[in-house]
Amino acid sequence: MKIHPPPKILQPAKIAAAAAIAAGIACLALAPVIGAAAFTSLWGIEPLSYIGGILLIAGLTAAVLAYAAQNNATPAEQNRHWIETTRQFFEVFDHDLGRPLRRIAGKERELRAALQAAGEPENPAVRELLDEIERQTPNFRLMLSNIQVLVQLQAPGAAPAAAPVEPSEVVRRIADRYTPVAAEADKEITWWAEPADFGMVASDSHAIEHIVTNLVDNAVSHASNSVQVSLSKDNAQFYVTVWDDGPGIAPHYLDHLFDRGWTPEVGRREEKTSSGLGLFIARTLARRCNGEVTVESIAAPQPNHHTTFQLALPLKAQ
Amino acid sequence: MAVNRATRKILIVDDESESAILRTVRRRLEQEGWHTAIVRPDPNSPTAKALLGDEFEAAALWSIEEQLPDAILLDVRFGDHRDDRFKGLSILDHIVNRWPKLPVLMFTQYVQGPDREAAARGALKWDAPIDFIDKLAGADEVVLRLRRLIGAAPETITIGGGITLDTAAQTIYIEQNGDRRPITGIQGMKFEILRELAAAWYRSPGELVPFSRLERYSEGEDPRASLRVRIREIKTSLGQALGTRLGPSELILNIRDKGYRLTPPRP
Repeated sequence: MKIHPPPKILQPAKIAAAAAIAAGIACLALAPVIGAAAFTSLWGIEPLSYIGGILLIAGLTAAVLAYAAQNNATPAEQNRHWIETTRQFFEVFDHDLGRPLRRIAGKERELRAALQAAGEPENPAVRELLDEIERQTPNFRLMLSNIQVLVQLQAPGAAPAAAPVEPSEVVRRIADRYTPVAAEADKEITWWAEPADFGMVASDSHAIEHIVTNLVDNAVSHASNSVQVSLSKDNAQFYVTVWDDGPGIAPHYLDHLFDRGWTPEVGRREEKTSSGLGLFIARTLARRCNGEVTVESIAAPQPNHHTTFQLALPLKAQ
Repeated sequence: MAVNRATRKILIVDDESESAILRTVRRRLEQEGWHTAIVRPDPNSPTAKALLGDEFEAAALWSIEEQLPDAILLDVRFGDHRDDRFKGLSILDHIVNRWPKLPVLMFTQYVQGPDREAAARGALKWDAPIDFIDKLAGADEVVLRLRRLIGAAPETITIGGGITLDTAAQTIYIEQNGDRRPITGIQGMKFEILRELAAAWYRSPGELVPFSRLERYSEGEDPRASLRVRIREIKTSLGQALGTRLGPSELILNIRDKGYRLTPPRP
């Protein structure tokens, strides 16, 4: 959908308007001199004056319209240009940041394997360092994709892509990625699909993966022991439910959970430990796919305290 | 240890095959009992002066022809030259056209991005066994993806804690202090239940096996109760063999109203 004329038409329009104005002024100026000679029959005044007047008015109108159109187009053009530049910056940034991160992660894993093979008594400080590097890796992956999705979300008119997706495969991948992270912290992730043979849906696989990754990442960091991820569906929608047995979220915080930049520390006026973008992005992305992310929680000290996030998306995207 | 009938061979096509990440992945693949082979362009080939990606393309196609691997790990980007940015996708195109059933796991630089989208679209278009994974993924994640891409369940599954299932011999073995012995208490239906749980764990460590799938291995008026009894017996037998008592959330975890899941002892 293009509301504004592309700038290629604007430039000739401006030139034509300037030419018409110049010709009009020339006609008006020449009318008293050559008007009588050029036209045999005179009406009220020389016809050249009429022609000059008409040309002047037409030229001015065209000029005003061209400039108005340009002024209208400018913000959108600038916006598009800005988004394109941001996207290119992001790619460079992703590549340049990704490379050292891969090197660090690679060296860490290699060192860990070498230490294990050597069977040397482990230095707790070394072990702690290696664990910390390993723990941060999924954070980097999520952070990079959060920034990228944020850039994409700002793009005007960017429609979600609907293609055949197997949601159980998407959930399986995310569970596989977070299982070792959870195990490090003595937590368990269990996932299942109901029905077990879940089948395909028409949806945006990036969006599903991104939203569920954010929900699972949250759940793994807040769970006490257990995270459960389940897939289900009814006639119109499918649902990914992420449950954790963590301390839960106090009712007065629930309203702010999806605000951009909000974290529990903001509520307690403490220093933020995360960007607070994950849930904001998750909900924005879900709504753009005609879906929704909802939350339900029972906060400790109640006995069965837990938090459940649910992503609902249409089985067939429009 | 029972010998796998056919050892899997994974061909690695990546210009950074000597990087720490690839070395860790290779070591993990070999732990898995798979062979790995690395594609290296021939320095004397006539294309040696061409782009890095072109060299790898020629070498990769030649190696596949020659070695007939079970799966391929293929990088999307070769070097830093602009024209090599998506060279992996062009190699993939050749592979899919010539060997449409050969599983390919694409290594992408970006977490998301154009190369990954192209790979995803390609996989749908060709209906070929193609998957993609970013390079920050751990070696375990790479192995899990490859297991699913290759598809076949192995004859023996080692679930950790010295416990191995041999599906051909329908026997469970326990290995302790270099001593390997069969567990006689787990046979028939009980073996099948444990096999189902181990197969799901092998595909994806967190995957739950629903009651609907397990109840075929139980009998009587109340199949769920009979299943519960069998699970308890399996845990008792394994616990005795390991010389411990397995708690309710150890080895086999029950998720209320849903099913069971294997949680092997961690090394």
